[in-house]
Amino acid sequence: MQINAGLLLPLLFALPVLSAGVCQLLKSALVILRFCVVGVVLVSALVFVAVVMVFRNGMILAAGNWLMLDALSAYHAAVMMTVFVISAFFAVGYFREEIDREEFTLKTARRYGSLWFGAMGAMMLVLVSNNLGIMWVGIESTTLLTAFLICIHMTPGALEAMWKYLMMCSVGVAAAFTGILLAAASTGSAGINSTDALLWTNMMASVSSLNPVMVKAAFIFIVVGYGTKAGLAPMHNWLPDAHSQAPGPVSAIFSGFLLNAALYCIIRFLPIVEASSGNTGWGRGILVVFGLLSILVAAVFILGQHDVKRMLAYHSVEHIGIISVGVGLGGLGVFAALFHVFNHSICKALSFCCAGRVGQVYGTHDMHKITGILRNVPIFGTGLICGILALIGIAPFAIFMSEFMMLKAAVDSAQYWTAAAFLVGAAVVFIGALSHAISMAWKSENDGNTIPVVKKFSILDAVLVFVPLAILLVLGLWMPQPLAKFIIRAAVIVGGLS
Amino acid sequence: MTLLMDSILVLLIIAGFLLLSSSRLSNCIKIGAFQGLMVGFLPIVASGSGITYRIATIALVIAGMKGFVFPYLLSQTLRESNTIKEIKPYIGYTASIFFGVLSLVASFWLDSRLSFSVAASSRLVIPVAFSMMMTGLFMIVARKTAVNQVIGYLVMENGIYSFGLAIVRDVPLLVELGVLMDMFMAVFVMGIAIYRINREFDHIDSDQLNTLKG
Repeated sequence: MQINAGLLLPLLFALPVLSAGVCQLLKSALVILRFCVVGVVLVSALVFVAVVMVFRNGMILAAGNWLMLDALSAYHAAVMMTVFVISAFFAVGYFREEIDREEFTLKTARRYGSLWFGAMGAMMLVLVSNNLGIMWVGIESTTLLTAFLICIHMTPGALEAMWKYLMMCSVGVAAAFTGILLAAASTGSAGINSTDALLWTNMMASVSSLNPVMVKAAFIFIVVGYGTKAGLAPMHNWLPDAHSQAPGPVSAIFSGFLLNAALYCIIRFLPIVEASSGNTGWGRGILVVFGLLSILVAAVFILGQHDVKRMLAYHSVEHIGIISVGVGLGGLGVFAALFHVFNHSICKALSFCCAGRVGQVYGTHDMHKITGILRNVPIFGTGLICGILALIGIAPFAIFMSEFMMLKAAVDSAQYWTAAAFLVGAAVVFIGALSHAISMAWKSENDGNTIPVVKKFSILDAVLVFVPLAILLVLGLWMPQPLAKFIIRAAVIVGGLS
Repeated sequence: MTLLMDSILVLLIIAGFLLLSSSRLSNCIKIGAFQGLMVGFLPIVASGSGITYRIATIALVIAGMKGFVFPYLLSQTLRESNTIKEIKPYIGYTASIFFGVLSLVASFWLDSRLSFSVAASSRLVIPVAFSMMMTGLFMIVARKTAVNQVIGYLVMENGIYSFGLAIVRDVPLLVELGVLMDMFMAVFVMGIAIYRINREFDHIDSDQLNTLKG
């Protein structure tokens, strides 16, 4: 069956935008939540078709080369849709309780649905765009669209988190735009038609005639700018606030893919800077430094954390750090990093959704008050605890595998200091998060605290929790050949493997 | 055209200093609007006799947005809140002016070190752009009222826009429009955010937003 690529790529972006409009017309909150599920399944089907096409025939171009999908972006699109599917299914159960308490009104639901689809569209635009400028427009739109998803409920804390997020990310992303301008200026001597100068494919094609100093300057701005949005330390301050204040299904998107979308832009630019500066590893070195700093900063904050969602947020800082270290290592490291993107996203989406539901039952996110969750909230408690265990790298789960591969890459390329710092950070996180998890799982109730009412959970909830866990478990033990092949192709684009 | 260009650039610097020294928020919005309007006209002046309809149209749209639409949205927001002045900024007005002077010197020094090949008719564009970026960033950090922080963001954007004008021959139309749309959305969203903050906290000082820590 022949599918027109020129139609498919614009449709990938248009369908979420259309769905965002439809949400405004629906007449009940529950219907909107169900429509989110239908919409996300439709978009996922399209993405699946696109992924298969890329897998078979390689890169797809459309709209005068302004839209492009290659193995790297197709892989990220697949990860993104996984996260959105988890978020959509969880949102139905999560907000249904609030509908019963009349906290989630029709107006709120319409806003939620539209912004949720809008964010999906903006992230899709980032992925399918071949033009670095349009990519920037997409990232900035995600900031603006997701700002009000944080404060679906207008609590003081949520407003504070939203303002911090809005200001920090807008300023950071503005810095990234300076980088894009520098990149455009670097093409001055390459003789590309100025309208097409910012196309990634064109820059890659004429990479040897770019001005290397300009490209290097551009990369610094891009790492700092998009790094703010990706949550790389020391620009991560907004992240724990936003992740902890947003409702569970929204935190899942934030942590599961919003950060990766920004990191994707950095990864996209890496081969340009590496090739134009003569493959000296200059750009990779920068990523390793930021990555290690993120891991260590996150480790310190996880140790003393009281709020379960803030702890998960610092896990995001850690894992984004791990991914950039992996990309920075090159070779097998890039493969491991891209594999890690999938593992982290699916695991973090699950953990945040479960943490949100557990928080609803207990009425707090304070880990001292959330005790005995395996007994009191069996399904979501198990999901949360297993999620945390997977996040800290317990053996059979896939995150252990990708981190192990990364460590191997570091040792193989004789970067022992990187390996050592990575291990120290991971060990501190392991100890800190494990102690929190144990106390949440088994500690008996504090005196004076009433045991929360155990609510009934449906089969669907159980399926939602155990399917992602099963995927993580299977991928940890056995990697399907097509997936490995696909990740290798994506890694080749980043310049990791040849 | 260099004379006209240079006079606009000097006006931009003066607007920056006025912003650093004004405490009345409505004045800040007006000065910001004036700076935006001037920045919007820059491409027309820069292209001189080689002006095309395309450049002129984009320039007018940008000048209209920066000079009228954004300030209008901001003053609407200001009217909803009961704040008139920035009373106690983190960094006082004298010190702010001092920073302005320092940043201007730093901008010229930076420009002399970097030696970009300039596409615009005046070399002054780049140091002025740097100084606007720094002034904007400074306002975001040093001012407490949310409105002033948004103005700081816009000033920073003005700087980035002028910088792009100086070093890039031609930013594609679609990208330019996309960026403009994002800017509009940003001011709009920030305006709503300020409105909500004002309703919830009864003020728009962002230093009171400090309960989330660790």
